Amino acid sequence: MNTSCKDNNHAQEKMIEDPVNYHAPNVLSDWQINGNNLPNSSVGMTRLGNSMVESSACSTTFMPDSFCPPVWDHPINGQSLGYCDTSIQNQAISSSGLGQVRAGMNWTQNGMLRGSILLPAVPGMVPPSLPHFPTDPAFIERAARFSCFSGGNFTEMMNPFSTSDHSNPHSRGFGPIQRPNDVVGTTGVLEQALVPGERSVEGSSLKNERKSQSFRLSYDEAKHGVDVSANESDEAEFSGRGAQEELAEADEDSCGSGLGSNKRKRTPQDTELNEIVGAPLPPIELLKDQVETKLKGDQNHDSTSKPGGKHCKQGSQGSDLPKDGYIHVRARRGQATNSHSLAERVRREKISERMKFLQDLVPGCSKQVTGKAVMLDEIINYVQSLQRQVEFLSMKLATVNPQADFNIEALLAKDILQPRAGMPSSPALQLDMTMPFPQLHSPQPGLIQASLPCSETLGRPINLQSVALAQVPGVWDGELHNIIHMGFNTSGPLNSQVLSAFAGSLPTGNLKTEP
Amino acid sequence: MKERMQNSSLKQEFLKNWIKGLQLHTNFNKNTTILERRKAIKLSADIAIASTRNSTTRWSRALISDASRDGSNKTLIEKISGREAPRKDSFGLIRCSKKIMKRSRVTRQIRARKAVLPSVVGASLIEKKLVKSRTRALKRLVPGGEDMDEISLIKETIDYIVSLRVQVDVMGRMASVADRLIPFKSL
Repeated sequence: MNTSCKDNNHAQEKMIEDPVNYHAPNVLSDWQINGNNLPNSSVGMTRLGNSMVESSACSTTFMPDSFCPPVWDHPINGQSLGYCDTSIQNQAISSSGLGQVRAGMNWTQNGMLRGSILLPAVPGMVPPSLPHFPTDPAFIERAARFSCFSGGNFTEMMNPFSTSDHSNPHSRGFGPIQRPNDVVGTTGVLEQALVPGERSVEGSSLKNERKSQSFRLSYDEAKHGVDVSANESDEAEFSGRGAQEELAEADEDSCGSGLGSNKRKRTPQDTELNEIVGAPLPPIELLKDQVETKLKGDQNHDSTSKPGGKHCKQGSQGSDLPKDGYIHVRARRGQATNSHSLAERVRREKISERMKFLQDLVPGCSKQVTGKAVMLDEIINYVQSLQRQVEFLSMKLATVNPQADFNIEALLAKDILQPRAGMPSSPALQLDMTMPFPQLHSPQPGLIQASLPCSETLGRPINLQSVALAQVPGVWDGELHNIIHMGFNTSGPLNSQVLSAFAGSLPTGNLKTEP
Repeated sequence: MKERMQNSSLKQEFLKNWIKGLQLHTNFNKNTTILERRKAIKLSADIAIASTRNSTTRWSRALISDASRDGSNKTLIEKISGREAPRKDSFGLIRCSKKIMKRSRVTRQIRARKAVLPSVVGASLIEKKLVKSRTRALKRLVPGGEDMDEISLIKETIDYIVSLRVQVDVMGRMASVADRLIPFKSL
């Protein structure tokens, strides 16, 4: 655990020199590899003194970020973290205000927290008992740059976290988590972000839930599909997108918290809305508006309170969303209040939201290159290339003798479709050597090898993998038998060989994928 | 974790549907040309991937309805999707009305363009034109995209891209398996 912490420290310092985005995947991979240690480390913390707190907290720092689901199940971890130093807590607060791990890294690099501990940048994970916070102006300024308010008052940040840390985990449990592989969280936020858009148009919550589910499904696959052709840019994009969502979540939080009691009213409403519906549309607008205000470098507390007030009022109005089906939009400062222009703005924001998703989906859509025309061009090229690939592959498959091989290929392909968790052990899944078929589990090296590093960097605990394997083959076996019964009409001995190979390979696959 | 299982279940479903369709073909087509086979394979794959969406998305519905327009595919569709092929009428009426609207819009645009000839074409105008033309191209690419507004077009595109990726992935693996079966391949 100590050595891993040192690695993390080195990784942190590395990030000082290099752009954050570039190293995020590497650091994240380090964190995730440590994911196993989380329960141990949290226990370990109870035993360690202050000197050791640093090393153990290092792992916990990263762990909750990369491994939040179990953390949510063990809220006690927050308690165990409770006896970090005040400095740690302060940084925790500010980092939780960020909602971004990366921002936390930046803070480290800024020398504020070098060598000190970053508590998980997860609201709700903040320990309930917190002493005072530093009022270092530079610190605050940096916090402001990354968080959603400027000149923020950290004591105000604190209270909502302590009050809402139980209600929020449900809604926000996924938000701050940013891993390239934690698609569920990001998906949840993303589809939640999208759903209100639909609802506003259709005004029917049932429809929206269905849509959200279908979209969640599709987007889950999108995220995972990205893993198929994974490369680092994808992961960076994921973290970028996750940063956006975290910012959205953090904005929700901080909006509720940064400006006092008014905003606190909003957070319970907001969490209520979240629980009903998912993140409502206003937070998306919040995100955009607040990012805009931050980018303008507006350090004045009063002036931020105005847009903040607007947004939070939007939030409270947003809670009416499910009831009357309208979006309540407030005009921003200096903008026309014409109903047409407001509707236009809403529409444009919806479109840009979705374009962001597309940006993450389509490879080669870099974040810097914005502009609808260029992105549309990329999207068109990508869709065209995918369609052409389908045609090419169908032609390739047509060259196979239809008589002999469709069914065999069906069976083989099913085995090939073994879950990705099985892929790292693909050399182990060799069929019986008497089989005429060579090793089946290195199809399309590009695909598999791309997914291999991906799954490695994901670094899921092995027990989860084996659980997945244990579950899926049950499904596979059933379908395998169905396929066989459905009309398996090729030559006899070949088929029996295939069947035996398959029956044999499935359980061996299970065994061998366990470390 | 969950999304991995979801993604792999999507692939499984697609593969299952696809194989159902393929088996339908192998049962009665022994002497087919390679082009016919390709068409059958592609059709089965498209219908299979569209039916994984269970008509929740417009592109999937449009794909299936396009395929069912040709009468010979009815059995295929029914076998794969397990339900009645959608009737033409409901989609046809919508298409007719949209076409009428489009025609009127186009004539309006032509008239407007003739009326106003800007001497200086600003960058924003160029951008708008580009965006428009590319949106139109995207609509042509996504099945059923012609009738969609921009917002839902983007959403459908996302879903369509995901499905295409699944399709390419599974088909690619199948093709690589076919490569391994070279001793048994015969053209």
